[in-house]
Amino acid sequence: MSSLAAQQQALLGALLAPPRSPQSQTATAHFAPWARGLAAYQANGHALAERCLRAAYPVVAALVGEESFASLARDFWHHHPPVRGDLAHWGDTLAGFVADSPQLADVPYLADVARVEWDFHCAADAPDGTADPASLALLSSADPAQLGLRLPPGTAVLCSEWPVASLVTAHLHGHPTMDTVAQQVQARQGECATVWRQGLRPRIAVCTHATAALLQTVIDGGSVLAGLQAALATDGGFDLGAWLQAAVQDGLVLGAGPLEDLKPDAAASQPG
Amino acid sequence: MPCATPINAAPSLPGGPAVGIGWRHAHYGELLQTRPTLDFIEVHSENFFAPGGAALAVLRAGLEHYPVSLHGVGLSLGSAIGIDDWHLDQLARLVEVIDPVRVSDHASFARGTLPAAVQPLTVHAADLLPVPFSVEALDVMCANVQRVQDRLQRPIAVENLSAYLHWEEADMTETQFLNSLAQRTGCQLLVDVNNIYVNALNAQLQGAPGEPLAGCRQWLDEMASSPVAEIHLAGHAHCGDIVIDDHGSRVCADVWTLYRHAIACFGAVPTLIEWDTDVPALDVLLDEATRARGNAAAVLRPSVMQEAAFS
Repeated sequence: MSSLAAQQQALLGALLAPPRSPQSQTATAHFAPWARGLAAYQANGHALAERCLRAAYPVVAALVGEESFASLARDFWHHHPPVRGDLAHWGDTLAGFVADSPQLADVPYLADVARVEWDFHCAADAPDGTADPASLALLSSADPAQLGLRLPPGTAVLCSEWPVASLVTAHLHGHPTMDTVAQQVQARQGECATVWRQGLRPRIAVCTHATAALLQTVIDGGSVLAGLQAALATDGGFDLGAWLQAAVQDGLVLGAGPLEDLKPDAAASQPG
Repeated sequence: MPCATPINAAPSLPGGPAVGIGWRHAHYGELLQTRPTLDFIEVHSENFFAPGGAALAVLRAGLEHYPVSLHGVGLSLGSAIGIDDWHLDQLARLVEVIDPVRVSDHASFARGTLPAAVQPLTVHAADLLPVPFSVEALDVMCANVQRVQDRLQRPIAVENLSAYLHWEEADMTETQFLNSLAQRTGCQLLVDVNNIYVNALNAQLQGAPGEPLAGCRQWLDEMASSPVAEIHLAGHAHCGDIVIDDHGSRVCADVWTLYRHAIACFGAVPTLIEWDTDVPALDVLLDEATRARGNAAAVLRPSVMQEAAFS
């Protein structure tokens, strides 16, 4: 390692290594003459961590409270430091960090809320999709086994044992009411959530297990037929036509096309 | 869509510098609605790396009315492990989409490695950390700047830092470091006048001899022959034991004094008002921009002092 690389590693260690780790203590001692300056950089890092995570996870922040969230952000900063210079991409592993945290064990739905919020955050920055309603005519003429649905880039689904979509929309949009969502949590009323972008507006909605099965199949690159079969396996009464009409209206389905023209990772892509 | 014929491309004060403001989230809507007279707007490149969505749409809308200066905070030009390929790819794509009037970043590092159990972990501290003014650090920064310029097919401007710690190892002064960087790579320089002043105040707090303003004037004099592409002006916070470049208040009187000295040194260089913390009403930024025009005019054409809104 060059001397410059070693110098830079020492400073990064003082700023990013977990505070009581040997690495941090050694690095901090190295910069003892500049303790006040080092503290300024450390404080800036912590403030930045809190600000960035709060932007991506406003509901997690509301659920754990200001002080706990600030502490969570600082811990996360040191245990999962950024790897890139665009902090919009930092925070993708928060759900796992939350799930592994003993201090947050009394909020068992927090990790799933974090997963939904990260999907929501990523959908906001996903590539723009263009609606092509005319292409939906293919659904009545082409082989559904060779046909796929085009979803807005960034579309994601998540099924949870907790009312994750309601928890998020109650905080972000005021519906359902907090009382209602508290009752849902009490009853451990599971939900599936769909996250997508309608135009420039990220959206989240509760969906049925059948819809979630269909969407996940499509996101994974499956055909309309495979998606329908997955939905019917969950709910024998699933009505594809009715669902499609609503999905097109909500901007969740942009069009249809031959499977080979639809890249599965285009719909499910997330900044990585 | 690149802005082929930028509106307000000419300085609003004839003979004076182009003056712009940092365009932040709080003013996205108001600026587009009111379209105040500005010569350019500046945005942080990383905030628009996303391939789609509202942020990029807003930037495209802004581009219809103002030239855009792209100012980065994350390239880590001083990093010993080099530039992140991904970061450079995103910047190159944004530059292609926006066709900015200038592209800039800092003479700093943030990217490096931390020891880990299996293999070193590459991290990015998301800050503007100082590099030593050493031959080795200069070589590294020259290589990184050259790589960026080769990729973007244009010169970039590199900004001096406000630094809160300093490395013992030094083969040269900061001005020698920056001048050499410009000479060796053909890059331009971005002179942040407030950063010079903040460093001088912090040096004074550390017991350094000399009067801060005099040291800052000397710093600017030593850069007089350099290709300066943009000047930044901002406020800072004096915390008693340290001065922080927080971009959270109006430009102070001493920094205006130094700005006039900078204009005398460098000429009518495009000038930016930065405000990133506790962002005030748009009118406050526009008032600072007017002050910048007035201060520059006082140096370039003393007779226009009374015409410009110099205060």
